[in-house]
Amino acid sequence: MRIQIPAWLGLVCVCGLISCGNEMESPVSGPTQISLNSPDYFPNNVAMPADNPLTEQGVQLGRMLFYEKKLSADGSISCASCHQQQKAFSDGKQFSFGVNEAKGDMNAMSLSNLHWQNRFFWNGRAKTLEEQAVQPIEDEREMNLPIEEAVKRLEADTKYPALFKNAFGTEDINAELIGKALAQFERTLISANSKFDAWIRNEVELSPEEKLGMELFFTHPDPKLQLRGGNCSDCHLGFLTAGDPNGFTGFHNNGLDAEEHLASGLQSVTGNPFDKGKFKAPGLRNIALTAPYMHDGRFQTLEEVLDHYNDHIQNSPTLDVLILEASNELPDGSDAVKLHLSKDERKAIISFLHTLTDQEFITNPKFSDPFN
Amino acid sequence: MKNLFYTALFGSLLIFSSCKDEEIPATMAINIELEHVLAGQTLELNGKSFTLPSGEDFTPKKFKYYISNVELKNSATGETYVEPESYHLISEDGNKSIDLGMVPSSDYDQLVFSIGVDEVANGKTDQTGDLDPNSDMAWNWNTGYKFLVLEGEFTNSKTSERQGLVMHIGTNANYKTITQNLSGVRAGKSTTLILSSNLDELFLDPNTLQLSELESTTIMFGEMAGKVAENYSDGFITVK
Ligand code: HEC
Ligand code: HEC
Repeated sequence: MRIQIPAWLGLVCVCGLISCGNEMESPVSGPTQISLNSPDYFPNNVAMPADNPLTEQGVQLGRMLFYEKKLSADGSISCASCHQQQKAFSDGKQFSFGVNEAKGDMNAMSLSNLHWQNRFFWNGRAKTLEEQAVQPIEDEREMNLPIEEAVKRLEADTKYPALFKNAFGTEDINAELIGKALAQFERTLISANSKFDAWIRNEVELSPEEKLGMELFFTHPDPKLQLRGGNCSDCHLGFLTAGDPNGFTGFHNNGLDAEEHLASGLQSVTGNPFDKGKFKAPGLRNIALTAPYMHDGRFQTLEEVLDHYNDHIQNSPTLDVLILEASNELPDGSDAVKLHLSKDERKAIISFLHTLTDQEFITNPKFSDPFN
Repeated sequence: MKNLFYTALFGSLLIFSSCKDEEIPATMAINIELEHVLAGQTLELNGKSFTLPSGEDFTPKKFKYYISNVELKNSATGETYVEPESYHLISEDGNKSIDLGMVPSSDYDQLVFSIGVDEVANGKTDQTGDLDPNSDMAWNWNTGYKFLVLEGEFTNSKTSERQGLVMHIGTNANYKTITQNLSGVRAGKSTTLILSSNLDELFLDPNTLQLSELESTTIMFGEMAGKVAENYSDGFITVK
């Protein structure tokens, strides 16, 4: 059986353009509620947290806090030091440097389309964006500032008490409100204007190579039927190319290490040995801008990433079955786990990954440093 | 005016309660709950190993499927309730119930539903809710939806190697409609129906699957997928 391709192309085009942010007039004076500017082909069933509605003032405050160096012990760094807009909010380093050149052991994650995710950090230890947002401030390898001290500094500042009042109706700054404001700003970091998006909206054509790459990306191979695939979308799902937001379903062991070197990953959160070596499957939007790759930044280039998935999968008891079982050739009796994509097919997938780069996202003045 | 309204309301309540043996409420709540069973045990996805009908061990990791186009029928009177927009993604680690809400009262004696997504819905990906194409149930968006997903690992009895099973069944030919008889559903009485999905039935009847003998344990399209669909078309989901 041959899989028909074009049928879907027409269908997806019915997905309209990005919907306009409709600002609702609040009945009483107070922060102005806004909604996210997301395209209608993103999931539309994810509600704003009831206790942290998105407001113009909250987002504005969150943006300032995101770029605020006072939130680090020595005033040298802000969130944006490790999450830089021109790198799709990553930092280009294998491991990030916190205050006093303290070095972490994790690669800084790119931040986009976070509203559609449920668990944060590579090992999923933060349940909500609100909860996540205050952790880097206190982390000794990051900003290393006790949260009470952060609150004191903001209270003593000339601008912040009024900004908190506008956003949350109170000048009493606390950790919870800092988290809420940062989370609001982070939710607005939506990347949905890449070439891939324009293709979804039927505004551009992909090159034959990009299209082949897209098909491989979204296909689990079946060698019996000569159906070729890279099986990437088994874990990097749908239009968001991100992990499954359901509980920990989006966490996988993608074969980076053999059993004896397996990092604990999700196991450190759930305590279940079955979760050893599982990490969050990140969204791949703007992936060409966010090298190096993986939780420990071990790969410098997308070529290395593709070589990994094709040829260097390390087997271990928790290796994901979708990788264990994915091959473009029938089993040859050897126990090596190999995808068997050709060089051109790997190149095509990389071309497709480049269509996920969103120039507007990395230059959008709404996301830039407000102090400049 | 208002008083008159209350009098009328009160009056009707009186009439209603005075003949309660006879009067049947116009609607009744029907809820369906699904239980997942493998080898006579409750399914778990956290690393527990089960024995397949073939005797091979199997550790399931993901189990999901669509139930769609649910209908209730009263074969005596011909009354039928057809649930509108009836697409339900059932998954072991997620939703395992179908709330039909309030349906017209009747002594329904048949439940009709399908496994999969009908041809019309299967040809579109601009859908929301349980058919949101951003979930892992949408295929490489040329091929519609996966109707049933079972993933897990087993030990190959020939090589003793750990091997994966990836069952992703879809395509219109594998959309199967199932009719089950109901007993005990009475007009006006809210009821919860318990259905049992017996995973053993994916591997047997009429087609026996011996995983270690398969040419490839990725079962997605073609003949093998058709065989699994034949297996799930009968005896897989039954009313308890
Ligand atoms: C010193 C560098 C550094 C600073 C400063 C920093 N981060 Fe991070 N960020 C990281 C690293 C590294 C990770 C991954 C850490 C991990 O998984 O353990 C991360 C992860 C995240 C994530 C999780 C993303 C996901 O997809 O799960 C969010 C959200 C985030 N940071 C927001 C912030 C905010 C908000 C601030 C400021 C309050 C901040 N970061 C400050 C380095 C930094
Ligand atoms: C079994 C699930 C799974 C499959 C299949 C899969 N990935 Fe991943 N991917 C992951 C996980 C999990 C991570 C994070 C792993 C880590 O850092 O430990 C990841 C990380 C990545 C990264 C690095 C992201 C970053 O921000 O550093 C890239 C790029 C990537 N995958 C591309 C692909 C491509 C291309 C394919 C198909 C050839 C693919 N993935 C197939 C689960 C998967």
